[in-house]
Amino acid sequence: MSARRLRHGALLLLAAVYSLFPIYFITVQSLKTPHEDVFGSPLWLADPDFENYTALFEGAEARVRGFVIIPRVPFLAWLANSALVLVGSLALTLGAAVPAAYALGRLRPPGWRACRRVLFASYAVPQTILFIPLYQVIVRLGLDDSHAALVLIYSMMALPFCVWILSAYYRHLPREIEESALVEGATPVRAFLRVVLPMSRNVLVAAALFTLGTVGNDFMLASIFLLDPEKQTVAAGLGVMDVSLEELVAVAGVNLAAIPVVAVCALFARTYVRGLTAAMLEGA
Amino acid sequence: MAQVMMKDLNKKYDEVHAVKDVNLHIRDKEFVVLVGPSGCGKSTTLRMVAGLEEITSGEITIGDRIVNDLPPKDRDIAMVFQNYALYPHMTVYDNMAFGLKMRKFPKPEIQKRVQDAAEILGIQELLKRKPRQLSGGQRQRVAVGRAIVRHPQVFLFDEPLSNLDAKLRVQMRVELKRLHDRLETTAVYVTHDQVEAMTLGDRVVVMKDGWIQQVGEPLDLYSRPANKFVAGFIGSPAMNFIDVSLSDAGGLWAEGQGLRVKVAPAHATRLSAYKGQKVTLGLRPEDLRVASGGDPAEYTIDAVVDVVEPLGSEILLDLRAGQTTLVARVEPAVRAKVHETIKFALVPDRARFFDTKTELAI
Amino acid sequence: MAPAGALVLGILAYPVAWEIWASLTDFSSRAEGGPVFVGLANYGRLLGDTWFWKALATTLGYLAVTTTAKLVLGVGMALLLARPSRLRALVFLAVFLPWAYPGGITVIAWYWMLNPPLITSYSVFMGNVKHAVDGVLGAGAWAFLSVMLFNVWRGGSFTAVFLLAGLNAIPTELFEYARLESRSAWQRFRAVTLPLLAPYMALAVFLSFTTAFADLGNVWMLTGGRIIFPVVGTYAYWLAVKSGQLAEAATWTLALVPLLALGLVVLFRWFDPHEETPA
Repeated sequence: MSARRLRHGALLLLAAVYSLFPIYFITVQSLKTPHEDVFGSPLWLADPDFENYTALFEGAEARVRGFVIIPRVPFLAWLANSALVLVGSLALTLGAAVPAAYALGRLRPPGWRACRRVLFASYAVPQTILFIPLYQVIVRLGLDDSHAALVLIYSMMALPFCVWILSAYYRHLPREIEESALVEGATPVRAFLRVVLPMSRNVLVAAALFTLGTVGNDFMLASIFLLDPEKQTVAAGLGVMDVSLEELVAVAGVNLAAIPVVAVCALFARTYVRGLTAAMLEGA
Repeated sequence: MAQVMMKDLNKKYDEVHAVKDVNLHIRDKEFVVLVGPSGCGKSTTLRMVAGLEEITSGEITIGDRIVNDLPPKDRDIAMVFQNYALYPHMTVYDNMAFGLKMRKFPKPEIQKRVQDAAEILGIQELLKRKPRQLSGGQRQRVAVGRAIVRHPQVFLFDEPLSNLDAKLRVQMRVELKRLHDRLETTAVYVTHDQVEAMTLGDRVVVMKDGWIQQVGEPLDLYSRPANKFVAGFIGSPAMNFIDVSLSDAGGLWAEGQGLRVKVAPAHATRLSAYKGQKVTLGLRPEDLRVASGGDPAEYTIDAVVDVVEPLGSEILLDLRAGQTTLVARVEPAVRAKVHETIKFALVPDRARFFDTKTELAI
Repeated sequence: MAPAGALVLGILAYPVAWEIWASLTDFSSRAEGGPVFVGLANYGRLLGDTWFWKALATTLGYLAVTTTAKLVLGVGMALLLARPSRLRALVFLAVFLPWAYPGGITVIAWYWMLNPPLITSYSVFMGNVKHAVDGVLGAGAWAFLSVMLFNVWRGGSFTAVFLLAGLNAIPTELFEYARLESRSAWQRFRAVTLPLLAPYMALAVFLSFTTAFADLGNVWMLTGGRIIFPVVGTYAYWLAVKSGQLAEAATWTLALVPLLALGLVVLFRWFDPHEETPA
């Protein structure tokens, strides 16, 4: 029994190391002085140096280093933009997903299953490949070079999954829950807002984190739709930096931007799993 | 066929001591029921026998093998779970054949055993269905069938009837009893329902807080409970308890909470040591009846009727007597009205006395 | 329902329609005059193009390999995390991290780490790896492989957490019963765990496809088209952006849709079965 437990522990550690190593590795690189970057070991740090990180904040103006002109790095602006896009996407995704899921899962109009499937089938269209006509849509809507474009597209990408899990959850929620609220004199809307919505908190968190993951995973669309450096998100901004051969600064930026995201995810990780579980009970 | 022995069995979780020094000898072919309120350690005990929980200390023997270190699959047991644990992706047939297939039984043998079990349980027509398509009672039968096909040495039942509605529960209870008479396999059965325990068990084990309170045949538990807990747990409605002190005034008298009754001579010798002390008097509702003129006054209690619950075959009366409340179970012919004061006679020999401090029967 | 439907289908409808239209013309940003309707000529050409078949094979291979790897890792880690242990909470967070780490930018870091553009302490080592891999699989293989590794690393994390949630949704008695009845852990895994998890795995597989494309797109964009391995998606960009052959690009793009749709139909059977009515 204890041998098995030991093996289990070892495998757990292995999973942790496997998951963390790449992050550790890039963090180590980002903390290196140029000298150590070339002559040190790639696996550990002798002399941590935060220059790559401070550069993100100093670089508000273009500057010259050696023969290279280092472009402006309005990192704080990028962070703010990312946050804006994220908040917008979350609001739009959840705002659209909740009523849709409730309608599909609870009211179950004829053909609700087909509706849900069609919605989900939109994943069969590789959105990232559609960017040329997508760009036309965005221009037609007058949203080019605007954060709203990304908000729309990200929401579109996250929605089907969110609708799926929320409707699965609502489908199996006992009807008595709203009925008792209705009997107590609440209007259907109030019953939904005060009873059903709080009960689905975990599933909402799961949907929100999935949206966060979707938004966080994109680089390409952001770099296509946002051209003005001041308007770019962190991903788009850092992505273009490779041209300047400043990849370690870019890596530092990745880490900095990741900190709040990771903090939020760590905080809600358990709830995320609980939410998914709640949606999966009694079949997906 | 096998006996099951538990010796000084203990189970400790991080903070909870769930099972404490359990010693139990379940004889070959015996049907033993573990009963108690939730959290009393009965399920944990069963799961240790099954091998689903590690044993913290002590020893379990099935047949003549110590099974502490045997994985569940090698213990030659079959278990029926509360939620049936049927596999949704398999047909009834495949569910029933699962254990045999895993053990690589030859196909004709599997087929024969499943057919036989299905016949015993009357579920031949369901073999091709999926569990989803079955009613609660049918699922229950499949779960039992799945245990039967294995011809195990011991059946383990973990609250198998608690998901069924009342009527079906009574029906399945009878079927399980019949099944046990037919198969004669040792069975350990866990339930929180004392009626189930009393009707099914050859012997009943009452547990509380991880301790065994009493082991005995159902009627023994009823008539000679070892302590106040067992007395209150077995029997429905529960036994009435009255805190009294014993005094000597021409025989032994129990007095307290505004009531005063004489102690039957049969109990007097045992109780004489408690003279002047506090004890708990236990009266079963069925041992209180409406007094007639011939009843001796020293064995009667005056009570006011609070609530009348006519059940048809009997009437339950919730009573106020002195500063306490009592329940009496009386003939359906009794016409009692609320607020009416009635004189009740008790059956003196059947009164129980418990040490108020230790709660043990005197 | 309406707003969500409008959002998803509305935004997608025009691009899809446009792609279909474009694929039926000779639309090109370089051509003189407007696009001319050419019917299915583009598709005909596509099917006769050995380059397309090669790209399709690469794409399917990419999807198959990354998805399998993600499933294997995901199931493994989910099973590890499902068992109680003191380490569990911490390891769970660690496993969650690759997915939580914003992928769109991590892939940048990842790519440059595995393909260091400058001289760093390990660039010789990485250079050797690159030459070894490219030597066997062809030029550009290492860059491609590094994207696959990233996709598996991040997607495996998502799959693990997703399947862990799935495991939690399955009543524990089902696993306990299996422990009583089966002879080996492997038997148990095959007869019980795998079929019970299958619907969730199917869902995870489909989500895995979408990120697989997204990651490729990210890196392709990031490196200015340095993913030179022929993949249907990236080659479509190439045609569209670099050489303006929009009609061909559309044809390439759409060629994938029937395959993905077919996959979806198969997967629906797993994760969205019509419930049988109880007797």
